[in-house]
Amino acid sequence: MSELALDVQGVTKRFGGLVAVSEVSLQVRAKEIFSVIGPNGAGKTTFFNLLTGIYKPDSGRVVFFGQDITGRSPDWVARNGIGRTFQNIRLFKAMTVLENVLVGHHTHTQQSYFDVLLHTPRFHASERKAKARAMELLAYMNLDRRAEELASALSYGEQRRLEIARALALEPRLLFLDEPAAGMNEQETEDLKTRVRRLRDELGLTIVLIEHDMAMVMSISDRIAVLEYGSKIAEGLPHEVRSNPRVIEAYLGKGAAGQAGGTHAPA
Amino acid sequence: MNGYIFPFTLAFTALSVVGALLRPASDLVNLALLASVALVSLGRIPTSWRSGLLAVLALTLTLLLRLNPGDKLAFYGLLGVLIACFLLPNLPTLVRVALGTAILFISVPIAGLTNSFLFELGIQIGIFAALALGLNVVVGQAGLLDLGFAAFFAIGAYTWGIFGSPQAAQFIEGFPAGGLPGNYLYLFMALAIITAAITGVLIGLPALRLRGDYLAIVTLGLGEVVRVLANNLDKPLNITNGPQGITPVNRPEVGFLTQFLQAIGAEQVYGKPIDSYITYAFFFYLLVLLVIGVVILVNIRLANSRFGRAWVAIREDEIAAKAMGIPLLPTKLLAFATGAAFSGIMGAIFAAKQTFVSPESFTLQASINILAFVILGGMGSIGGAVVGAAAVTVLNIGLLKDFSDLLNTWRQTGVTILGYNMANLPPQLNPAKYERLVFGLILILMMIFRPEGLIPEQRHRVEMQEARQEAKEGGSK
Repeated sequence: MSELALDVQGVTKRFGGLVAVSEVSLQVRAKEIFSVIGPNGAGKTTFFNLLTGIYKPDSGRVVFFGQDITGRSPDWVARNGIGRTFQNIRLFKAMTVLENVLVGHHTHTQQSYFDVLLHTPRFHASERKAKARAMELLAYMNLDRRAEELASALSYGEQRRLEIARALALEPRLLFLDEPAAGMNEQETEDLKTRVRRLRDELGLTIVLIEHDMAMVMSISDRIAVLEYGSKIAEGLPHEVRSNPRVIEAYLGKGAAGQAGGTHAPA
Repeated sequence: MNGYIFPFTLAFTALSVVGALLRPASDLVNLALLASVALVSLGRIPTSWRSGLLAVLALTLTLLLRLNPGDKLAFYGLLGVLIACFLLPNLPTLVRVALGTAILFISVPIAGLTNSFLFELGIQIGIFAALALGLNVVVGQAGLLDLGFAAFFAIGAYTWGIFGSPQAAQFIEGFPAGGLPGNYLYLFMALAIITAAITGVLIGLPALRLRGDYLAIVTLGLGEVVRVLANNLDKPLNITNGPQGITPVNRPEVGFLTQFLQAIGAEQVYGKPIDSYITYAFFFYLLVLLVIGVVILVNIRLANSRFGRAWVAIREDEIAAKAMGIPLLPTKLLAFATGAAFSGIMGAIFAAKQTFVSPESFTLQASINILAFVILGGMGSIGGAVVGAAAVTVLNIGLLKDFSDLLNTWRQTGVTILGYNMANLPPQLNPAKYERLVFGLILILMMIFRPEGLIPEQRHRVEMQEARQEAKEGGSK
């Protein structure tokens, strides 16, 4: 069994009386494509926010490649190997496509304040390097020809790809993708699937995604966890999850489970 | 229609230049020249012609100023050409630099040496522009609304004011009675950068944990704290001399400049000795120019670095910026300290130039004025901050004063206009009394017709458009 990328141990988050995420534990192995699914309002995005530091869990631990990152700030988490995209695209819309990726490369752009003021050779070198890397990532996401355009001028699908390029500029080890295929047409989704696989195969990234497009989830994921009302109700290989009666019930309502006749126990 | 603009501009400019050469002191000709500057800058004409015509106009206006140093209209014309060099896109860099340098270092001094008001105006614009550029980093780029910005200006002014005057001897035993010699100003300009930046961090540390309106209110309060401190630190230890202020503040020696002016024969040319008053005005004009040059350079460099990009990212979306590994508080503090440093250095120069520092120069009104320069010019835009400061300064101490003088002359001579005898004009209508009103009206009109400012930064323009779009969509639902 390969190294553990993410070890989530019983994290819970309450908002007032509402338990948004309840005692969720799961483990993601390095270089795995892992999906988190569940009906609307199941707490998937809250769960992501707990792992990336936007919320602090009320209890539980998050361990990332052996390091406890529970309650760390989002910028610390980002600097230490976790990149993410947002469900409701949060690009810097008034910046160009290239600048968006350069912002992602912020911590890796090795220039001090005085390098900038004095335009030292180090400034020029770092700026050149950052731009080259950004263009490389844009090319990887097939956006290099639009580098000088404003991010707001991109189509919906392109904006989603740009968010991935921007997150990649952090040089992360793990990438959280929050509904990357939302709003994409079939062809774009196909294209996205190939790209996500390449991220794992070529860049060696671990990928955790939330997605509603079941066809995509089933075909791309190594393993899947299912959330409902903030609790994990199932986990396993795609075909196991697909035939799990509790999952079918969660998605289709009571009664549907009997017909599917799934016998696989949740992990 | 477009086809006629170029020949028309050409003819009009030629005519006004010839007119200027024939009848140098006529207001009509001056107005025509001003119109030419506008036409050449804004009309659709070939770039090479534009450069050439601007140069010809600059030369003509300089000649007029040399003949009649009090010719304000010619001066405004030159200012127009200068702004055009500074802002027009696709003007060759060589033309830009050559023309700008010539106007700043040849035209203005030629006239200024007999009419120090021009230097005064230049200094005033320079100081305000530096303040606007400082605030532009904070509000325009990083999006942090600071309503207490004058505090940093005050810190810079007091840094030199206290030690460059008899004041320091009041509370430090054995300090030279007259304060440090004026030449220490150069050292204290550097120190003022540091003290102002440190104050920026001290104010920023608590304030920058807040956002939006809360930040604005807290900075307003902390800015007032600095002024109130200056007002009250005359006891138990007399550090700031309280509301009376500190005077006289020493100024650097300008012997080198006097010698230079004598060497190039300025006294013969003007037919009178150049007194120390004018020499000092010239000196501070040059000093402010130098500093503003550095400030602009620093501003541009920061904007095109990882720091500038991080500031804009924070302004646009704090959560996304954090998810990109940008630490919010340190990055915001850096913006605060940078902006503070710009106004700190100008504070030290201001103290020396005025030879007087008092808390009255650093009121909330001053902070709001600086913010108005930035908003008027266009948030986040470097050119905008400079033009905003220039426009308001020219309006306040130039145009409104001219108008006021004009009304006074009318009143005294008792001219009748539209059947109304101007001698009966009530003194309440003196423009000095409604300077704020005019300023306010301009701001309101700007916000209605051009909310993104005179020279908007591209990014802000996009943000504004998006906001409008959303408002429209929201309205149609």
